[in-house]
Amino acid sequence: MKSRRTFLKMSGAAVALAAAPRFSWAMPFPQSGLIDFPNEDGMIVRSYRFVDLETPVQYFDTWLTPVPHFFVRNHMHEPSELDLPEWRLSVGGEVDKTLSLKFSDLAKLESHSVVNTLECAGNGRSLHRPQVPGIQWGKGAVSTAKFSGPRLRDVLQQAGVKSTGKHVMFRGLDEVPGKVPPFIRSIPIEKALDSDTLIATHMNGTPLTKHHGFPARALVPGWIGAASCKWLTEIKVLDSEFVGNFMSPGYRLPNQPIKPGDAVKPEDTHPVTALTVKSVISGPVEGSNVKAGKIAIHGAAWAGEADVAKVEISTDGGGTWTPATLGQEKAHYAWRLWRYEWKAKAGEYSVLSRATDSQGRTQPDNPVWNPSGYLYNAVDQVKIHVA
Amino acid sequence: MWLRIGKCIAGVGSLVLLLTVSTLFWAQDQKGSASSLTATLPAGPMAQKATTACTECHEARIILQQRLSKAAWTKEVDKMIKWGAVVDASDRDPLIDYLSSNFGVDQPPYVPPRTSSGTQKSK
Repeated sequence: MKSRRTFLKMSGAAVALAAAPRFSWAMPFPQSGLIDFPNEDGMIVRSYRFVDLETPVQYFDTWLTPVPHFFVRNHMHEPSELDLPEWRLSVGGEVDKTLSLKFSDLAKLESHSVVNTLECAGNGRSLHRPQVPGIQWGKGAVSTAKFSGPRLRDVLQQAGVKSTGKHVMFRGLDEVPGKVPPFIRSIPIEKALDSDTLIATHMNGTPLTKHHGFPARALVPGWIGAASCKWLTEIKVLDSEFVGNFMSPGYRLPNQPIKPGDAVKPEDTHPVTALTVKSVISGPVEGSNVKAGKIAIHGAAWAGEADVAKVEISTDGGGTWTPATLGQEKAHYAWRLWRYEWKAKAGEYSVLSRATDSQGRTQPDNPVWNPSGYLYNAVDQVKIHVA
Repeated sequence: MWLRIGKCIAGVGSLVLLLTVSTLFWAQDQKGSASSLTATLPAGPMAQKATTACTECHEARIILQQRLSKAAWTKEVDKMIKWGAVVDASDRDPLIDYLSSNFGVDQPPYVPPRTSSGTQKSK
């Protein structure tokens, strides 16, 4: 099975290459090479097998991220076979009535849309010092899309959640290699019953692609991407948090800041849930040479379940700060694009961005180190040369 | 659906496709612009055994991008053995040495490749 799958991928790549054998594209970014990848455009390849693709920050220039530019995070291999007529979503556990839903059953339910900024908990991991193991994401394991589909609440109400139901577990169809624990996680019942938590079937108005969880995925808005299980096949209501590697020790943070090398007891940790406040500069990019005069500094800022209150810019390495203008497009769980017009004289500059949210949280000057490199959100910085 | 497409492609003839792949990748390599679908681990006394143990489940780039201390590599190797990586007991320490000497904290940064959709638009 595995060799056939590999062959199919290789064959697909070959056909696509043969269809477009151009060898001298003008490269928009420095890179060590190109990998042909149908429908994925200019993405940073953190891993080909399994697929982990990062969005270059330069792509943070539209409020909704086009699907070919939307980051991809897989913990396992994508399902090798997905047959929509055969696909079923089971709902069980602490419910009055178990369900086995066809895709057409989901399609009959009222569809709801949520514009959500989805960010991998490990986004920015490569920026921690000392570095920690895991996919070495730069700043781009984050994107925004309009997700649509039935509310998870409506499906759970069909099944009837018992009073003993406290957590909702998701299982996907991803294929588990070796003895790796399956990627199964759960969310508290309160978040599962939130009117914005979805069983998403569409992204930016089109059916989910395979990389993004076709035919259906959980969409847990404002929370780390790992909560939004892809290729959903089972929903189970539990009387307590799911016990498994990706709930503990995975995706947990120390209750108190720790130093590298400090041991942390499991009881001194808590699960990573909602995203924190963060901004990223999408242009000018690190190392740019820019002409003196009016320079637009721009980027995106988000805050999980909170709203972005302000973004400030410093062009003198953090000495003084000036508010940026926030973009008009906004939604509860979505990032805000922002822009600052700067009249720059020639020189070497360190340009910083700092977001503050409606809960009063502000990006810290220095990252909060933790053993798995989760929720990096230090003030962003690019060094540029103005001539 | 993917399976049907796959069977259709396979029907074209695997030899022709393989020749196409190798020719195109060879051509791109001459321009310095192509990258293999999956990467390989650097040469060394444990390279083959590391390849066998690690890349059964994931490709080498997941290793190439790490910059970890020997203590951190030790934890990773032991975790992966628990998760099914086949490593003889006598190979554990040499494997940790190989990984920490090639992918230690002092190594220069890893530069990842980019995707090309085949219909790349200009930005």
